[in-house]
Amino acid sequence: MRTVLVASLRVHARRYVAAAVAVVVSVAFVVVVGVLTAAAQARITDGVGAPFRGADHVVVGLGTENAIAWAAGREDTVAVLGSATLPLRAGDERAAGKFVGSIATAPELRWQTLASGRFPERTGEAVVDVWTAQEMEIATGDRIRLGQGADAVELRVVGIVQASSNLGQAAVYLTFEQLLHWRDDDSLLLDRAAVIGDVGTLPDGATARTPEELVAESIAVHTNNTNTVSLMLLVFAAVAALVSVLVIANTFSILFAQRLRDFALLRCVGATRRQVVGSVRREAVVVGLLASVCGVPAGVGLGYGLIALLGAVAPRNPLGSAPEPPVGWMAGGFVVGVAVTVVASWLPTRRVVRVSPLAALRPGDVLDVRAGAGRVRLVLAVLLLVAGPALLGAAMVLDGTVLMLAGGGVLFAGVLLLGPVLVPRLVRVAGALLGAGGRLATENAVRNPRRTAATTASLLVGVTLTTAVLTGLATTRASVDANHGGAHPLDVAITSWQDPLPPGLVGEVAGTDGVARAVAVDGVPAGIEGQDRPILLLTAPDADQVARDGGAFAAVEPGLIALDTEVYGEDPAAGLGDVVTVRAGDRTARLRVTGGTGWGSAGVVAPETLAALTDAPREHAVWARAAAGVDAAALVGDLDTLADAAGATLDNGLQAEAADRQQLAVITWLVLGLLGISVVIALVGIANTLGLSVFERTREHAMLRALGLTRRQLRRLLAVEAMLLTVVAAVLGTVLGVAFAWAGYETFVKQALARAVLEIPWPQLGVVVLTAALAGQAAAILPARRAARVPPAGGLGPD
Amino acid sequence: MTTTTQPGARPAAGETLAASARALTKTYGRGDAQVHALRGVDLDLPRGRFTAIMGPSGSGKSTLMHCLAGLDHVDGGTVTVAGTDLGSLDDDALTVFRRERIGFVFQAFNLLPMLTAYQNIVLPLELGGRPVDDAVRDRAHALVETLGLADRLGHRPAELSGGQQQRVAIARALVTGPELLFADEPTGNLDSETSAEVLEHLRRSVRDLGQTVVMVTHEQGAASYADDVVTMRDGRIA
Repeated sequence: MRTVLVASLRVHARRYVAAAVAVVVSVAFVVVVGVLTAAAQARITDGVGAPFRGADHVVVGLGTENAIAWAAGREDTVAVLGSATLPLRAGDERAAGKFVGSIATAPELRWQTLASGRFPERTGEAVVDVWTAQEMEIATGDRIRLGQGADAVELRVVGIVQASSNLGQAAVYLTFEQLLHWRDDDSLLLDRAAVIGDVGTLPDGATARTPEELVAESIAVHTNNTNTVSLMLLVFAAVAALVSVLVIANTFSILFAQRLRDFALLRCVGATRRQVVGSVRREAVVVGLLASVCGVPAGVGLGYGLIALLGAVAPRNPLGSAPEPPVGWMAGGFVVGVAVTVVASWLPTRRVVRVSPLAALRPGDVLDVRAGAGRVRLVLAVLLLVAGPALLGAAMVLDGTVLMLAGGGVLFAGVLLLGPVLVPRLVRVAGALLGAGGRLATENAVRNPRRTAATTASLLVGVTLTTAVLTGLATTRASVDANHGGAHPLDVAITSWQDPLPPGLVGEVAGTDGVARAVAVDGVPAGIEGQDRPILLLTAPDADQVARDGGAFAAVEPGLIALDTEVYGEDPAAGLGDVVTVRAGDRTARLRVTGGTGWGSAGVVAPETLAALTDAPREHAVWARAAAGVDAAALVGDLDTLADAAGATLDNGLQAEAADRQQLAVITWLVLGLLGISVVIALVGIANTLGLSVFERTREHAMLRALGLTRRQLRRLLAVEAMLLTVVAAVLGTVLGVAFAWAGYETFVKQALARAVLEIPWPQLGVVVLTAALAGQAAAILPARRAARVPPAGGLGPD
Repeated sequence: MTTTTQPGARPAAGETLAASARALTKTYGRGDAQVHALRGVDLDLPRGRFTAIMGPSGSGKSTLMHCLAGLDHVDGGTVTVAGTDLGSLDDDALTVFRRERIGFVFQAFNLLPMLTAYQNIVLPLELGGRPVDDAVRDRAHALVETLGLADRLGHRPAELSGGQQQRVAIARALVTGPELLFADEPTGNLDSETSAEVLEHLRRSVRDLGQTVVMVTHEQGAASYADDVVTMRDGRIA
């Protein structure tokens, strides 16, 4: 049989290209996922662990005083981590509170990277984070002023740094000695220390960990994202494998169907069933091995290319620089490729042995490989179609994620099983829209229902997931926006703490490009008894005009005072629910404290309350709402200039929002890119099916050409056939995807976010369907060209 | 040389030749594998006659038919069908010419398996984008009646017997009212009784409808239905 094996591989090499391409793409996909996961993990580990990168141990739970005492004299091996929050001035730019951290003395423990200049070496020197430098227009050589009043210090900027970590990231870094200038400042919080070598004796309450332990803990506690990302990528890899199995199995079954006569002939001349099947399976293994060998480097190249591309396009994306090659994933991809090929060829090869040796002796007529849906399959499909929605319903009621995934899987399996019945009918419906001209294409598309279903199944999987993810992300974005409105009700607040604002400011703000609306807010400077800090009391009955939450945060009942919990937090004198005495001038009011977030350090009260405290409230703040899609940084810069001129400070919720949005956008593109690859695999499958069908139909095409079909008409026939398959798969997938997204929304988005909104991105979904239709056309190009080359006289006689 | 008219033009009145070939040569392959399928063939096919082309396997009779029908390009010589020099037509024009002027019946029937008998019959009209109007429908139904297919129109080829399939193929070939009908071994896959029936239908279309029919066959019995018999041997007319 070896002669047969080698000869088959040689003769059918061209046909096997189709199957091999599917294997190569799926192996490459798994490897790409591996590279991206490695990059994301490296970035996340890097982010969390950067401050401890060079350390042997990390001491936690030190507390500020202990940390200072314990680290004293050990600067060469210990770097204390922590920061103070201080006012920062650079030229005309001012910031009310910026994180100020320290640069380790030991070079191994310096985790910030220099963008320009050098690290500070003595007191009086500072480096500035690249983002702060950009925001406040600080350059190396500038002088900045940190702190206020008697504690203020003038510093020289000697460098600009980048920090890859969110933990411990600060706006300005000083030497530790310089930071200790503020050791009596309440805002100085030191808790951890990175240590090289032995830890030695620790103060009470402090413990030592290895950096790895700490990173693992931090990831588990702070960023559920990590696990989510890995899990998501794994799911995609599984999806890609599934799609590949579908495509490869389909390709093999068509290949074998075309060779039934060969197999029958082999049986005729004395080959046993076992020999025939063995030979065919060995062919599959050879194809799988060769294709996997090609797929691994393709995936590595593609993965690194993607990272480089993302790095160039979106420098703040969650993938860092190129990681070490993920050897495990590469080996995994190779194994998956071979396994998928073998599994996918198993069922089709079983069918091979059923062919009777006599089939080879029958002349002329084509061996009928037409196959519909068996009764068992139908019953099973109906059962799954009933069970799936039932599980999804249960998931919505019980909020069970596992139930939801199970329900979705079951429902989808039902749809796939029902494919041979469902898809041809849908193709007929779609074909009917094309009129009589599309009838031949429609009939061609549905002549083998099982093949039709198998061909569309792979695309169905890809489109369903793409749609579900798109809808899910749009919903998440809409819901996050709604929640962001609650957390950051104000886009921009310009506040003057002591003196009233000049009367024309609200008009100037409203007239600034990018401002949708602005309102003036009345207030009075006041004090809370028992607190040193003065407080500004504001009342804003017309906050609904500018607030993202419809003004809810400012609608405070008389007798209450709303304080921003992000600012006042656990302040003992003004905890939530406490009753405090507020004094303005010689009048006082007793008010109960309520909370909220997003408007800064002013206290918001009812108009009645303010009226009781002062006869002449003055304009102390201007609140503004940004127009949609405005460049947040530019707008904040413009308004900051206005605020400075009026001696006021500016707070904004825009940058936080922009960061949230960017994160979602990056995730969206990442997900779409990965799912796009599964769609590409599916299209390779469609091209395969069409290409092999063209082989099968050579005689028919010759006959049609003889009867008077022009080359162009023949090409169009195949293009329409491909388009019918892709459009039906895309539309069905869109419907299913939206349904799954809705189920997911009902099951967990509603739980996680208080103000959830289901958002269906119709334009994007339209693009998906359109893309699928166009891709179908593209998939038909090569098969159609080959079909059109068939000479009209070709294959007309008997074989 | 026969007068050459514009493609698609009807032949002049009184013209008696449906098709003619002059000095046809056709070679397949190259080097040692070269096969001279046609070595200079001259042939005139009169209108309204049933001509059989006979010869053993490999004599070039199928090649001759393919060249006469515009299915294959010739290497040398000219083919004129219904006054049109086929060598002057490009692929698209040739396709349209076949669609409008020539009908085919094949040994393997070559019906489209997924279309019903009726859909197969009117397929050439659909390919040409011709509307299926009453006149066409009448012609189709007349053919269907003549060929005894009236009760089989809704069936797919797999549900028809060999004879029925071949009769559907004949109906399909005649539905456009072609100048010439080519039949390539039309009885090759049929038993003798069905063969006789199919051949009788072909002869009737010549007698009753004035159709010109050219049939390639290697069966003596089949050839006996023809008015004229041309015998080929080694790429030449014997």
